[in-house]
Amino acid sequence: MKSFNNRLASIRGAGTVKIVGVIAVAAILFAFPRFVESPYALHMMILFFLSTLMGSSWNIIGGYTGQYSVGHAAYFGTGAYTTMILLTFKDIPPWYGVWAGVAAAVVVALVIGTICFRLRGPYFVLASIAVAEIIRVTALNLTDLTKGAEGILLTDIPPFMIGDTILTDFSSKVPYYYISLVLALLMILVTWLVQNSKLGYYFQAIREDQDAAHSLGINLTIWKNAALVISAVFTSLAGSFYAIFVKFIDPTTVLPLDLSVQIVLISIIGGIGTIFGPVVGALVLVPLSEMLRSNIIAQGLINSGLVSAESATGIFLKEHLAHAHVLIYGILVVIVILFMPEGVLGFFRTIVARKRKGAA
Amino acid sequence: MAILEIRNVSKFFGGLAANSDVSFEVNEGMIMGLIGPNGAGKTTLFNCITGYYPPSKGEVVFDGKRMNGLQPDKVCKLGMARTWQKVRPLAKMTLLDNVMVGALCRTNSLKVAREMAMEQIGVVRLEHKAGFLAGGLPIGERKKLEVARVLATRPKLLLLDEVMGGLNPAESEDIIKLILDIKAQGKITQMVIEHDMKAIMRISDRIVVLNSGEKLAEGEPQEIVNNPEVVAAYLGTE
Amino acid sequence: MTFSVLLQSLVSGVLVGGVYALIGIGLTIIFGVMRVINFGHGDIMMVGMYMTYFLFTLAGVDPFVSILATMPLMFLFGAILQKIFINRILGSLPQNQILLTIGLGLIMSNSAMLAFTSDYKILTTSYSSSSFNLAGISISQPLLISFLITCFITAALYWFLMMTDTGQAIRATAQDREAAQLMGINVKWMSILSFGIGAAMAGTAGALISPTYYIFPQVGSAFTLKAFVITVLGGMGSIVGATIGGVIIGVVESVAAVAISSDWKDVVVFTIFLLVLLIKPSGLMGKSHM
Repeated sequence: MKSFNNRLASIRGAGTVKIVGVIAVAAILFAFPRFVESPYALHMMILFFLSTLMGSSWNIIGGYTGQYSVGHAAYFGTGAYTTMILLTFKDIPPWYGVWAGVAAAVVVALVIGTICFRLRGPYFVLASIAVAEIIRVTALNLTDLTKGAEGILLTDIPPFMIGDTILTDFSSKVPYYYISLVLALLMILVTWLVQNSKLGYYFQAIREDQDAAHSLGINLTIWKNAALVISAVFTSLAGSFYAIFVKFIDPTTVLPLDLSVQIVLISIIGGIGTIFGPVVGALVLVPLSEMLRSNIIAQGLINSGLVSAESATGIFLKEHLAHAHVLIYGILVVIVILFMPEGVLGFFRTIVARKRKGAA
Repeated sequence: MAILEIRNVSKFFGGLAANSDVSFEVNEGMIMGLIGPNGAGKTTLFNCITGYYPPSKGEVVFDGKRMNGLQPDKVCKLGMARTWQKVRPLAKMTLLDNVMVGALCRTNSLKVAREMAMEQIGVVRLEHKAGFLAGGLPIGERKKLEVARVLATRPKLLLLDEVMGGLNPAESEDIIKLILDIKAQGKITQMVIEHDMKAIMRISDRIVVLNSGEKLAEGEPQEIVNNPEVVAAYLGTE
Repeated sequence: MTFSVLLQSLVSGVLVGGVYALIGIGLTIIFGVMRVINFGHGDIMMVGMYMTYFLFTLAGVDPFVSILATMPLMFLFGAILQKIFINRILGSLPQNQILLTIGLGLIMSNSAMLAFTSDYKILTTSYSSSSFNLAGISISQPLLISFLITCFITAALYWFLMMTDTGQAIRATAQDREAAQLMGINVKWMSILSFGIGAAMAGTAGALISPTYYIFPQVGSAFTLKAFVITVLGGMGSIVGATIGGVIIGVVESVAAVAISSDWKDVVVFTIFLLVLLIKPSGLMGKSHM
């Protein structure tokens, strides 16, 4: 009993260290734009926050509750389209439109949940894909509402005002930086709250064994839908943010199956069912995929003299590597599933634990 | 007074009757044994009682309430809890977390749930394993985990499905003591499926024998042992 | 919609459905033997399409003749995939199996993009757009040929699974892996064999549709989804079911395209899929493995 209490105390101790660490990192991130003005660096950070937000949102339903939705593009797209349609056709500013997007995503989540949660395992996965595809094709065909394949282009964003004070006019990347940072931190906080409440216990019980959970008084329909709604709300926020940030959406950018898969992979690669897994996943994936996209790797190979710029290989790499940035997702997920079933975070934790054991 | 009444319960799968026309009552505070050869329909009956599937015919009345059609979570909330023949630990959660999930059926506070859980972990004497992952525990401790977990849901009626299956004699003895302790406290009625005849004769106040889905006999342990039909069913003679 | 239009779309639906059936059969064999849902199935088909395309453009081999090369090569490809990757995750969580096959699919499609760019390629044969009239119904020549080849391959596969010892061993493995192992069946070899057969079927389907379909790296995912719909419709693991499911989906698509609009045909297909999952998850033919 005593040793158990000691262990609890040490867990709490580790918790304090963690909290201090998170606050310190958050402080640095808030100060970051004061010292770094490069729009490119800010852009990368925004992508990182956005990926963290998407991965952590999925983590609630997939990682904690064990319901592998491969249709999260549905919520992302719902948020993005609602905000964009309201803004471009009705002149409703995004900071109101976002909440309409959240409401719409909740409705979509409850419809999908009612349909799909009767199914388990691979059948649930297939159903979640099917529903998301139905939504994508619908968005493609409802051209009056969504402009179909042409997509919606945003020309200007009204300044963000409270009363008569203009908070920002969105002329630089800085406001986007702060919005995405706050959203990502909020999502991490929500994950922490979930993990440390009845929700977290019930979600994980459902993940581990639905029948056992059911027999312990857990209403599967209610709790699975609760997890999905939380997940959908933040995925929708991510979608709305993306729409305003990129200023262009169409069904192939905000509703495709590929996007759903990428959302899942952020969490899987980092480590599911943990608060910081998706953060690690985003930290791994965003730079890697950006390096491929921006041709840094091809340029690096050429600069290092390994590949001559004029050679066929050099030209080929420069031309094509950028189009294949999703390749890295494929390779990473195969490596993770085969060699690091607990994700990158879990992998390093085991290594550290092993080293400690060796040292002791 | 009867806490559980099984009235003419039948369960068909396709054309096959897994239970047909089973009736009996379980009185408050007693231990009811449920025995029968493999495939006699014992676990099916448990599933019908606890809401995993609705009975095809007949009704289950618990604490004066008709239970037919209620989902397992409702059944648990009303005070009827079951363990599983094949243990179902929540593998990637600790023993303490497992039992807390049970306790959270009665409270929304993690703090209260933790206290309730530690109390039940004490009952099964696994305090030293509270922080271990459930998936890594040996079978005997996983069985005890299940008992602690259902006790934490504060049941009035406990249904134990082969809770001694696969255990060595010493471990079985622990469980038997546990069952008798629970009875001695007088708050929880128990219904036990068991294959170990010696154990079931020792703990049960009454026994129901199922054979091919039908109730073959009911009575006190001594009557059951001496019932020629029961003996025949077990030895497989016609 | 006149009767002849309906008849026309029924006929072309059945013809296309034959090829769909081939894709579905591949998926269902893999699922039957290994309980793995192959999310890279359409991408394997895409590999078959490119193989056919290059055999045609570089060596001048007719797409329908090239099957003789495509089929064994794709079998080998599948067998290697199984040996190196799938084999390691047979016992793990279904989610992880799904993710691994998704990853393999991404690698295939993105490698294809890297190698061949994302341009659409068209394989034009002398008969690509030729058709003939039968009682007022026009029948596309390449579709008819591919349908006949599909029938032949499906029949040969039935014969193999029903009549040969190896086929029986595969079916035994699908029925009960452990029992099959106890009976002395080399279960690992059966898994390799069935993934090979599955890949060969998908690759052949790719070859068969290449004269009538655009060839591009991302073509796979649409067919993966279609293959799921077909196998779930027919009952996961059932070959007869997949054959019937393929024809049904072919007909539904082509009738929906005429009756509603071709823009909405996927919505119709997916809605049917969801309804089947919810109402009869075991499919129209098979036993449920849920």
